[in-house]
Amino acid sequence: MPDVSLKNDQTSACDPVTLEIVRGAVRATQAEMEALIERTAISAFIREKKDFYTALFDADGVMAVGSNLPVFGDICSPVFRDFPPDTMREGDLYWYNDCYGSRGAISHSNDQVLLAPVFHDGRRCGFVMGWAHFSDIGGLRPGSISPDTTDIFQEGIIVPPTKLIDAGHTNEATLKIFYRNSRYPEQNLGDMRALMASAALGVRRIEEIVARFGADVVADALRQLVTRTRNLVRTKLAETFAYGTHRFTDAIDSDGHGNGPFHIRLALTREKGPDGQGIEGDRFIFDATETDDQSPGPINLLLNPDVPGTALSMFYLGGDPAQVCNAGGPQALDEVRLREGSLLWPKFPAPLGMRGLTLMRFLAAINGLINVAGGKAPAAHSAYVISFMRGTFRNDKGELEPFLMSDGIGVGWGARPTADGTDAVYFVAQENYPVEFLETGYPVRLRTYGILTDSCGAGKYRGGCGIVREYDVLAEEAVLAIRIDSVKNPPWGIAGGMSGGAGRVVVNPGTNHERAIAPLSDGNIVRRGDVLRIETGGGGGHGHPFDRPPEKVLEDVHGGFVTVDAARLLYGVAIADGALDKTATAALRIKRPAAGAFHRHTYVDSLS
Amino acid sequence: MSLAIAVDIGGTFTDIALHDAASGRIWRAKIPSVPSDPSQAFLTGIRLALGEAGQAAPALKRVLHGTTVATNMILEDKGARAALVTTAGFRHVLTIGRQDIPRRANYLAWVKPARPVPASRVLEVKERIGAGGVVVEALDEASVHTAAEACRALGVEAIAVCLLHSFANPAHERRVAEILREKLPGIAVTASVDVLPVVREYERSLATVFNAVVMPGVSTYVSRLQDRLDGEKVTAPLLFMQSNGGVAGGATIRRAPALTALSGPAAGVVGARDVAVACGFKDIITVDIGGTSADICLIKDGKISLTQRGQVGEWPLPLPMVDMVTIGAGGGSIARVDDAGALTVGPQSAGAEPGPAAYGRGGKAATVTDAHVVLGHLPAKLLGGRMALDAAAAGRAIDRKVAGPLGLTREAAARGVLAIIDNNMMGALRIVSVERGHDPRDFTLVPFGGAGPLHGCALAGLLGITRVLIPPAPGVLCADGLLAADLKAEFSRTLPKAGAIDMDAAGAIYAELEHQADDWLTAEAVAAGDRQTALIATLRYHGQGGEVAIGWADSKAEVEAAFAAAHQSLYGFALEAPIELVTLRVEVTGRMPTPPRPVLKAGAGAKALGRPAVHFVSGKVDVPLFDRATLGAGDRIVGPAILSQLDATTLVLPGWQGEVHPSGAVLLTTDVA
Repeated sequence: MPDVSLKNDQTSACDPVTLEIVRGAVRATQAEMEALIERTAISAFIREKKDFYTALFDADGVMAVGSNLPVFGDICSPVFRDFPPDTMREGDLYWYNDCYGSRGAISHSNDQVLLAPVFHDGRRCGFVMGWAHFSDIGGLRPGSISPDTTDIFQEGIIVPPTKLIDAGHTNEATLKIFYRNSRYPEQNLGDMRALMASAALGVRRIEEIVARFGADVVADALRQLVTRTRNLVRTKLAETFAYGTHRFTDAIDSDGHGNGPFHIRLALTREKGPDGQGIEGDRFIFDATETDDQSPGPINLLLNPDVPGTALSMFYLGGDPAQVCNAGGPQALDEVRLREGSLLWPKFPAPLGMRGLTLMRFLAAINGLINVAGGKAPAAHSAYVISFMRGTFRNDKGELEPFLMSDGIGVGWGARPTADGTDAVYFVAQENYPVEFLETGYPVRLRTYGILTDSCGAGKYRGGCGIVREYDVLAEEAVLAIRIDSVKNPPWGIAGGMSGGAGRVVVNPGTNHERAIAPLSDGNIVRRGDVLRIETGGGGGHGHPFDRPPEKVLEDVHGGFVTVDAARLLYGVAIADGALDKTATAALRIKRPAAGAFHRHTYVDSLS
Repeated sequence: MSLAIAVDIGGTFTDIALHDAASGRIWRAKIPSVPSDPSQAFLTGIRLALGEAGQAAPALKRVLHGTTVATNMILEDKGARAALVTTAGFRHVLTIGRQDIPRRANYLAWVKPARPVPASRVLEVKERIGAGGVVVEALDEASVHTAAEACRALGVEAIAVCLLHSFANPAHERRVAEILREKLPGIAVTASVDVLPVVREYERSLATVFNAVVMPGVSTYVSRLQDRLDGEKVTAPLLFMQSNGGVAGGATIRRAPALTALSGPAAGVVGARDVAVACGFKDIITVDIGGTSADICLIKDGKISLTQRGQVGEWPLPLPMVDMVTIGAGGGSIARVDDAGALTVGPQSAGAEPGPAAYGRGGKAATVTDAHVVLGHLPAKLLGGRMALDAAAAGRAIDRKVAGPLGLTREAAARGVLAIIDNNMMGALRIVSVERGHDPRDFTLVPFGGAGPLHGCALAGLLGITRVLIPPAPGVLCADGLLAADLKAEFSRTLPKAGAIDMDAAGAIYAELEHQADDWLTAEAVAAGDRQTALIATLRYHGQGGEVAIGWADSKAEVEAAFAAAHQSLYGFALEAPIELVTLRVEVTGRMPTPPRPVLKAGAGAKALGRPAVHFVSGKVDVPLFDRATLGAGDRIVGPAILSQLDATTLVLPGWQGEVHPSGAVLLTTDVA
């Protein structure tokens, strides 16, 4: 055989070259699995919005190659508890969506996890995960998650870890029970078939990789990938965090039930361990126990203890495509402390459906924690926005037909020390519904879909802008749920950068029957002929706005991101008749406001 | 006399092939490209080839051209200053895009790429067409006049018009384009329905904008070429290679220049297919490896399949193009070890300047070519002795950038670099094969491009492929592809609303599309006997996001059965769900005369020029070096061996043997799967 084959039969160690090849091959497997889901799934939530992810775990269930977002916790342990790995067989497939039963490995019930063991020559070599948000699994209202829920039983069917396929034999009865609990069973059936096919594909591919390199070499490769991430993150943590305790606090507006604000209080302590020298001898302790008590409404985030380390690792891994988000992130921390009964570790059966809001604010607070310690993380982003519209419309035959439109709307992201925040983005890999798709599939027509002017936090690097979407309601009647946060506590700016703009929802704006809708609410009735306007918030700025080059401010004005008034007021840039007035700008910029460490509505030294 | 000339202009070289169909003779020339005015090299090349063949310009019957003019304008952001005209309320359609952070990106580090047209040059017109093509609000022509004034004030050279739902009802969009053309003579105006009449406004807007951005440049270029040909008294039609692997005349290219975005790579695929078919292979995987990128394509039954999900650089460009995967892997790909000890190769490339360290032009980076030099895969001189390689510089680069940081020997480090680049390419090979349900072991690998034949055996070994076919002139295959290409075009219609198959309605649309296709074939002067038409439909299960393309059939039941079978074979399952018809497409071909292949004389046995040393895992081995020009039909080679020729070097690994085919191609085979 050609000498390029690097298979090494003498030892079990994976050499550095083979390591990168294994990593590349696993990435290619993920891409194949994702392409299959995207092309064959049935619900718009998966196929257009693309709310699905994949990962590979080693033979012991340690995540070796994940997706680029800090959402997943320890996925395998919940399955292992009921189905010990040594009892698993080739052709098995495991499934769950049980949040409390998985200690937050998944954090709201719509997310279905499929986990398949990979065998080679009778030996267990790893696990493949397929994960996707199913659009309706029963519960209080269509879409299953709603700001109105008060316990998790109202958020749809709960599937504890179960064996969906037993050595090739599918438990169709279980699936039937699951489909029967959905308002849109045919969507769940199609999505489940797509997810199952994707897991089967992943198993085949990983087995081929093991056959190619040998089980020991692959096992060592996966171990090395985890260790590499762990060591990198730990080294960088030590660069950011001096010995002692670093604290950051942020606040969520409301739980949708009249309660709030809810404070997220994070602390990271670096201390010298009892033995050992240098970084390895240190202890890094993440502590969120000071966080406020859990909420009656569904904004509780059951924070799997693996998530804080993963979130920190995302910052330190940066944009290097060779680095892998995996269990090395959580392993970089020595201890994670959470308090039962708090917003970040609620007691069963507290509702969790709107946890995405809390997760996004938590991730911004992680940026804050890095920043207060002297790291160079971005300013805060707004929490992405979701809306549900369920009701009836008159179809071509004149009959009333039910519909469910679940939509995610992008927001502005925080400015970086070297770049503007990203405009109008939801999250990793999650796409919008094209207008032409939306209007063909749902009883709405968009009047506008664009950038929300002046929603970006001003700064040398400005925050990203949020979005404005205005709909003509063509449904006969529909119930609207909306989830917007960061209204009272907008995304903070840093180093002189200002806070981002807030979102809002209003029906029939500019008319005499205009009415505002609470940012986190359900049960709002809209009818045919109503105009619904949703605005989403922007990201915080970075650096003093007076340091932004006037030409960039002018381009922002011409592009509809910033108004002439804001250019003058916030940036000290005078624009007249579409052109820069350099003299007036110089005069304005002499009166440079003094800045504080952070900015929220006004400059402050610390946030609370 | 039946003379055809093909000119393929790449970034560094312009390749010319002059073919006489009567005698089967081919004359080739390779001259430096002139990036500032590609038409210069075009003309020089034609004169050179005609001179060598002793022919006069008027004797030419066809002039074929592959060009990267449009590609480079898109990739390097050097096209026209353009504006986008869109429906009022949607000026940020490009800014927002699909509102996602790419799946493989880091959400904290990612920077949204700058749009080819910034929001400050997007203008709105008052009108609205709704779902299914219904006019919701009539076009306010005054708003178009205002937009025209704004375009004038912005000093744009090109305008893209893309209105919501125009694919379902193009009336407003066509009227807007008409008014803009009237008001702004001299400014190139392009309407989305003329470029890509399909659903999804962001992707359609982007394709239209790219068309606008390249339109003035390509139009000028086409005119200049035509002038040059006229000046030379060439009366033959000038045909351009399109991304779809077929050629089309200047009028088509002027209207939709974005169709040439993958002109060069498509020509190579056609050339590779032609070489393989001549040797009796219809199932092939082509790998075109140049300096910075590798283009990979799978061909089944001799048919090149097309996709509408293609990409140019980081942008989706959903125009019909040869279904290939491009990755940043080539001879110039840079190897480096990062802080965490990870060895990566590419996608950054040393390019042609300064190029690999071995080129001796001051390049310090360790590249794939340097790894080949270190291992002895390349002869000391390239391009027929015109270019010497600096083996010492290559060794130093590999030592400093790879071997040192990883604690490996120089040779082990070089092997590692090649193993990684081969693995990257294997990922792309898998995407076109296994991911689409094809077993690569059933295929013959056809490596070409300057660096392709160095990697052929290694890539085949990784995929279990046992046959590798090296074309006669792997480095200039694109020019051959031009000679082998047919005229091709697609006419498609996305249904206003996807739904159950209505055979009568579909029949009416197909009739209309076939009519358009016939008009086009007539305009391109294709004789009735040379015309071929295929009816294609894309379908999906209700609710799905991806469609599957199948050949149209006579009954609804047959169409549905074909779809279910294709879905099962592609994805491993079929559903008991309603099937929807999404797009109808007519693909037409105007067959061009097939160039007969030159036949190689029988060889007298391969004789080695020398025995350079090559480093294998097992140690250093002296291997025979053959000059391909001295090989005749039937000559055999046993690996390890190196085949050298003007435009490429072939590495035959141990365990492989080769035989020269009468067409001049070399078929390498191995018994070890």
